[in-house]
Formats: sequence, structure tokens, C-alpha cells
Amino acid sequence: MNRTDRLRNKTAGKALRINESARAIEKALRLAGVPSSDKESFLNWAVVSLWDTFKEERMNKRIIIENEIRQLGLRFPNGTVNKEYSVEFELPTDKISDIRIVGAEELGLTLTVGDGGICSLCGKPTAPGDFSLRLLYKTVEGEPVSELVVPVAFNPDPRSIWKNNKTKPGIPYYKPDTDSEYIKVKAGRDGSQRKDIVAASKRGRSHAHEGKARDDHFSLYHCDESDWYILAVADGAGSAKYSRKGSEIACRTVIDHCKSLLIDNPEFEASIREYEADRDNQEKRTNLTRHVISIIFKGATTAHEAIKKESARREAETSEGVRLKDYATTLMFAVCKKYDFGWFIASFWVGDGAMCLFDAENKTAKLLGTPDEGEFSGQTRFLTMPEIFRDPDVVSKRLRMAIVPDFTALFLMSDGISDPMFETDKNLNDYAKWEEFYNNLKAGFPDDDIDGVDLSDDNESSKDQLLGWLDFWSPGNHDDRTIAILY
Amino acid sequence: MRRLPVYLLIDTSGSMRGEPIESVKVGLEAMVSSLRQDPFALESVNISIITYDREVKQILPLTPLDELQLPEITTPESGPTHTGQALKLLCERIDQEVRLSTPEQKGDWMPLLFIMTDGKPSDSQLYKEMIPEVKKRHFASIVACAAGMSARTEPLKQLTDEVYSLDTVDSTAFRKFFKWVSDSIGVGNRSIGATEELVLPPPPAEVNVII
Repeated sequence: MNRTDRLRNKTAGKALRINESARAIEKALRLAGVPSSDKESFLNWAVVSLWDTFKEERMNKRIIIENEIRQLGLRFPNGTVNKEYSVEFELPTDKISDIRIVGAEELGLTLTVGDGGICSLCGKPTAPGDFSLRLLYKTVEGEPVSELVVPVAFNPDPRSIWKNNKTKPGIPYYKPDTDSEYIKVKAGRDGSQRKDIVAASKRGRSHAHEGKARDDHFSLYHCDESDWYILAVADGAGSAKYSRKGSEIACRTVIDHCKSLLIDNPEFEASIREYEADRDNQEKRTNLTRHVISIIFKGATTAHEAIKKESARREAETSEGVRLKDYATTLMFAVCKKYDFGWFIASFWVGDGAMCLFDAENKTAKLLGTPDEGEFSGQTRFLTMPEIFRDPDVVSKRLRMAIVPDFTALFLMSDGISDPMFETDKNLNDYAKWEEFYNNLKAGFPDDDIDGVDLSDDNESSKDQLLGWLDFWSPGNHDDRTIAILY
Repeated sequence: MRRLPVYLLIDTSGSMRGEPIESVKVGLEAMVSSLRQDPFALESVNISIITYDREVKQILPLTPLDELQLPEITTPESGPTHTGQALKLLCERIDQEVRLSTPEQKGDWMPLLFIMTDGKPSDSQLYKEMIPEVKKRHFASIVACAAGMSARTEPLKQLTDEVYSLDTVDSTAFRKFFKWVSDSIGVGNRSIGATEELVLPPPPAEVNVII
């Protein structure tokens, strides 16, 4: 049989079958008693009404499934730009098919539909904002594609939206946005290494964002004649308008005060030696304390007075209504000297932050005082509060003396560093945390492109390294950061 | 991480039904997206929403801004305004949710409270009793907003010195108000410290200062 014959036979078969169905319909119509005059209109009516019922049923099926999908209450959690995003949800794939999400690709997300209807939407969001994702799916063959709109929000990467606005040089008490210093102390006559001081201070991101000035300050001094080291760090209160000047006056005043009293003070030095030679002698201890009070404690009160004087001066010269608390600042400072028996250290501390004598060799970290902290974050005490000095326990609370054979480093830092690095008082008293801090300082944070600081003797470039290190990232911690290290 | 807790108390009594509450929703949405543009807020602001009418509900527990999704806000047909009950729930939630500093944990920033009403407390006795309780919770700032002409400012004055009013309860007014709220939260983020009182940014023209 050739191709044409085959086709002819096939067509004939088809015609035969149509004839059979037509005869069956004829028979049914006859049995139902449909007169032949109504036959055609009846058939038209029957087809149309059944077709409508069929369509309605199909649509109802779709609507039922759509409602079911809506009732899943599909919600996508928020994401963050450039941060891995992943959400899993389940769809009834026995009822729906051809699932896709319009708008996902453009946002950097890919939808995968797995076994049992387990779907996942993954990727790294590319843009911040509020978006509407359109989940499209098929329900019943012949019905239009169904749609469910699911909103999703992507936060910007916080690191990308910090602005760096320079402080306007015209403001009262202008202060540069960063500062750093290295004091290199030459080796002794016998060639022995002597400790150096390095310090760096940087405006916090929250201040930089708004073009506000740095409120922190530090001052360093090494007296070549007497070999005393003096370090001071002060943190001006964020909410006090002239705290940047308060912190500066505080640091400068204590350095000047201590410097003048330390350059040539044989009685004080003798009292240290006498105390060291006989540590149980109460009289020797009292004598030394008397000296320390006149140098250290008096330094703090002098700084308080100096700030008071400046606020009064500005009050008199301007019509702003300046108050002492506009200069609110914390203050920590230490004087240190190396003797043949070891190091003598005396310090004063009011406010938060941290001041610590760190000894990696003996695995000790001695806090030189207690940070002043309230119930809530940001609550502390300031040098500018007169009640600080009225407290009968002020000397025992805030003054510290220590004699140690040696140490790795003496750290003074504002809470811009101690908060992210230590978080709690408990951690500040934990040697392991200080060791971790010291390692972070040396190694930096390679994941965030923050280099470490090379704290080897006479490394003057460590001041730039330290300034760079102050850029470390810590969510929610964007205060001014200042650190001074004697090492 | 240190959080800045922000509590929003929103009047959902019957009179807020319709345009006013829709305007509040639009305002809240604008506030959240505006705060998301602020890097400091993004890492520290946590928001809670309490609605009050006959019923008092915390419809949003204290939630970090970056995870926050605004919940549905509904209003009944009519009924009383239980502002006192709302303050009571607020105090309970604060005691539960706000962390204080201990040697083991870093405390939150002092919380902020924004309260909005278009009427007056129906439970005035409880309201009075709750005022000293609210004050004990050490808010860095409490801002009260009397929205519309029938809002009474006197009860709000007992709660805080920062009372503001909106002449209308339409979307423009609420959008401006919540924009200002988000600016105030931004300030709250930065200026907590030495001075006890928080200096708010100047309100927009639609927001009247009540002295």
C-alpha cells in the first residue's frame, strides 16, 4: 500500500466513526423526544451551556488553588545587600506547576523548586529598597497563569552608606579629624632598649557621617631629663557641644601639671624607693601616697579647674549661655618611670574606656581603676562633674599606684575601642580578652582589609599603622576612637 | 550589640478608622524606609509598636530595624481609648525587653517613646497612675503627639514636656510627623550621654509645638 492509499483508508475510517457517533446522537435525540425541527438549536444550546459549566468548574478549581496559595501567608524576611540571602518555603507542587518569580533575577536571587515542593530563594541581593516579587504559577491546564505578589525589603550594606564629611575648620574650637604621635625614646647609655609611646585618635564614623568634630583627645610626653613618661586620653561627651575642647584642656593640663612636678622631684623619687625597699611600712606608704596625690590627683583637679575657667571665659565673651557641662569629658592619665627595681606607675581615671597594664609574659592584665558605667549604654561620669571630687572615696576609687618588674604594654583607650573590643566589665577583667585584643592589634583584621600594628621598638611608622587600625568594623560601635600605648 | 529601643504607641480607637489609620500606616512605612538609609540606625535601632483602643496589643515586639516588617494595623468600629492600659503594657514590655548593663552584658541605649492619640484616655484613673511608672523607666525622650482637632493635649502634658499637635489627620501630616520621628531617632542615636535631655530636631510646619 502506498502512502496515498494509506491516507485514503485512514480518512475513510474516520468518516465511518463520525457516522457512528452521529447515529448515536440521532438515537438519543429521538428517545428524548426532540423534534427534528428543534434538533439543531437544542444541540447548540447544549454545547454552549456545558462549555460554560466546564469553564466555570475549571476557573473555580484555579481560584480554590489560588486561595490555598494565598493562605500560605508567604512572607520573605528582609535581606541586606551583598550579604548571603536564603529563604525556604513549601508550595503544593501536586496542584501547581511552572513556578517562577519575576523580578528575582534582577535582584540577584535564584529560585529553585525541589522535591516535594520545597522551594528556596537564594543569592546576594544587589540593590537596597522595597520590592514586589511576582510569584507566577500554573494551576489548571487552559486557565491563565496565576500570580502572588510577595513584598521583600533589602537593607543597604551599612558599611556602604557611611559618609565622610570633613569638619568645618571655622567652628569654635576646631580640631583635626585625626591625630597620631610617636615618641621615640633612645636606647640607654648601656645600649638597653627603652620603651616608646605611640598614640592615635580618629573621629568616629557617626561623627564623620554628619561632619561633626572629633571629641576625643590624647597627649603624650617623655621627659628626657627625668625619664618620666606621661600619657593622657580623654573622651569628650558626644552630646556636649564643646566637649572636644574639654578633652583637649584635660589632656594638656595634666601633662603640663605632671611635667612640672616630675622634672626634678628628688623627694618624690626618694619616697618611691623607700616604699619599694620596705613595702609593709605604713608610714612610707602614706608618704608616697601624699606625693602621688599632689601630682596625680592635683593634676585631675587642676584640669577640672582649667575647663571651668575656659567655660567661664567663653560665657563672658559670648552670649551663648555656656555651661561647664558643655565641656563634659572623661579623663585617664598615667605617669610611669623605670627604676632598677622595676616600673613605678601612678594613674587617675574618671569615666569609661579602659586603662590596663598588660603583661604577656606573666599573663596578667591589671586594670588601673574601674570604668564608670550606668544602667544604660553611654551613661558615665565626667571630669567636669563637681561631685566627682566631693566623693570622700575619690582617691581610693580613682587613683592607682603600681610597682611591677616589667610589662608588655600600658594601654589607655576611649570607649570607642574598649566597647567593641571588650563589651562588658567582666571581659575587661579577663586576661584572655586582653591577649585577644593584643593579638588583634598586631594582626589587624585581614577579612576587612585592616592591617595590624608592628609594635617593635623604635618603629615610628606604628603611629600610622595604629591610625589605620582604628578603622576596624564593629556593628553599632562608631564612636571616636583613641588609644595610647607605652610599650 | 547595643540597641536603641524605640517604642511607638498608636491610638487605634474607632475615630482613627479609615483615612487617619491608613495615613498612619503610610507614615510608618516612610519612617522605616528612611531609617534604613541611616547606617547608625540600621545597626542599633529596634522598634516596637503597641496599639491601643478598647484592646491593647503589642503588635510588634522589639525588633531590629533591619529585620522589621510592619504588621497589620486594624481599628474597631467604635469604643473607648485605653491609653492607661497601653502605658501599663508599655512598662511591662520595657521591663522584659530592654537590657540594662551588668558586668556580663552591655546595656541598651536609653529607650525613646513616641505616643500618638486623636482623643483622650478613657481610663483616666489608670492613666494617671501609670505616669510615674513610665517616668521610672528612664526614657531618653518621650514625645507625645495630639493628632486632629479632638485630641486633648492636657493629659499628654502630664506625661512629657514634648507635646506636639497635628491640625489634620491626613497622610501629609502623618508623613511629615513620622519623618520628624525618624530624624529624632537619628538624633537619639548619637547624642545620648552627658546631657540628660535629648535635643530634638525642629519639627516641620505641620507639627505644632504645645507649650
